Amino acid sequence: MKKKSNPMVKVTNIHKVFGKKLHVLRGIDLEVNKGETVVILGASGSGKSTLLRCINFLEEPTAGTVEVDNIAVTAGGDDKNRTSQILDIRKKTGMCFQAFNLFPHMTVLENVIEGPVTVLGQRKQEAVLYAQELLDWVGLTEKRDEYPSRLSGGQQQRVAISRSLAMKPKVMLFDEPTSALDPELVGEVVEVMERLAKEGMTIIAVTHELHFARDVADRVLIMDHGNWIEEGTPEKIFNNPENKRTKQFLAHIL
Amino acid sequence: MNAGTIPTKKGGIPPEANNVLNQIENRKTLYRRKMIIAFIVLGLLLVATLMVIKLDFKFMLKWLPFVLAGSGFTFLVAFLAIALACFLAVIGALGRMSKNPFLNSFATSYVSLIRGTPLLVQVYMWYLALPQIGKALEDLGIEGIQSLVTLPAVPAGILALGVCYGAYMTETVRAGIQSIKLGQTEAAKALGMTEAQTMKRVIFPQALRVIIPPVSNEFIAMIKDSSLVSLMGVWELSYRAIKVGRRHFQSLEMLIMVALIYWAMCILLQYAQEKLEAYMARGDRRT
Repeated sequence: MKKKSNPMVKVTNIHKVFGKKLHVLRGIDLEVNKGETVVILGASGSGKSTLLRCINFLEEPTAGTVEVDNIAVTAGGDDKNRTSQILDIRKKTGMCFQAFNLFPHMTVLENVIEGPVTVLGQRKQEAVLYAQELLDWVGLTEKRDEYPSRLSGGQQQRVAISRSLAMKPKVMLFDEPTSALDPELVGEVVEVMERLAKEGMTIIAVTHELHFARDVADRVLIMDHGNWIEEGTPEKIFNNPENKRTKQFLAHIL
Repeated sequence: MNAGTIPTKKGGIPPEANNVLNQIENRKTLYRRKMIIAFIVLGLLLVATLMVIKLDFKFMLKWLPFVLAGSGFTFLVAFLAIALACFLAVIGALGRMSKNPFLNSFATSYVSLIRGTPLLVQVYMWYLALPQIGKALEDLGIEGIQSLVTLPAVPAGILALGVCYGAYMTETVRAGIQSIKLGQTEAAKALGMTEAQTMKRVIFPQALRVIIPPVSNEFIAMIKDSSLVSLMGVWELSYRAIKVGRRHFQSLEMLIMVALIYWAMCILLQYAQEKLEAYMARGDRRT
């Protein structure tokens, strides 16, 4: 018997309207397979971040369905089951923000164990052990007892990645993770993302880091005014774009 | 020196820079000294004034223990009332931000009504008017309600102060919670936290830091407003002082004494506040 494995993330016909008129996403479809790294590019305001935020319901989609690891939630539903399904999707989805958003009243270690202990109900010792492994993996073992305000931006973002990974997510969403960083700090964060991709994590990243898009991504998608305008391998998108707007956009950022 | 190379300057801080640094340091020390002198002068002026108006210090000393015995009531009323107020403030703030229309309008009305009426009226309301309501309810057939709501002076005072300050502090707590950046809520949600967990683990601990100075302010005001329970004949600080002063026709001595006692209490609280703030600021960047 042949069994086709479902995609890890499946977004079907997502619309997002802010207020009554601002139509940001116009029927987006997206399928991301397990272990795949997808980079979304596009001009600012094109809806990239909104799409990411719809996947873990930080933004309620106005129409359409989001499915993560076989949990499907449709826009506009209102039953009790739905709230817990959204929580389940969030538990399976890690997210890194442009502004890091570490909890400033907790130390680095406390930030990393917060999810496992509070959300998953893990014992503290158990969570600490895994957190230390993660901090070691991102190279911040010696910062475990510091507060976030004492860290550089790059270090904060690496802690934020560890905090997400502590939940053992199935998918990682990166929302412009390097845009708030000084240029010399970008590398250390991209390097961590790269290793994560190599270890088989499913990644959806909105980023302007072309090196990451070119060398790490399996697939690049270009968004414009809430629609996909082009999709393909990095080689095809960067060397041989077909769409006129893609060409214009790439000319701006290359 | 070879042409084309930039000469590197060697050595430490030049002497003229050291002079400037010393000047800055001297100015700071001088300022600190002047500050101390100013406080001493003010203190001496106060003592001199007290001498000139011929205060009867012996009389004051004689009655000091009697008045101080009332500080127990003052602390009891203030502490219990502030505890009640904090509790109501958290509930009130959550109500004011609630999406539930009933809870929201209830909290909004509470704040509006209590802030819109004088504390003095409220104190009498709890003490004198509540039994009348109890009687009306009893007439309607609710057994035993009247004796239940006929409150002794101290509980009535604690309720009045607690409910009143709770309304003001509701707004303080709400402002504190809303001052926390949205990114914090989003990060907590993205981890899969429920709204209650987000509030408890992420938002409230950070809001607490913001609201400690205004809440300490309220507490200090509360210590002094606790004198309102004297209206109901409770033998607390100010009531004792005023009684003694009137009886012996030496109100000035007693009023000055009780004022100084309140002041001392508030200075203690201020000190506690500073310690607490320093502790809460532990996650801050040290400069």
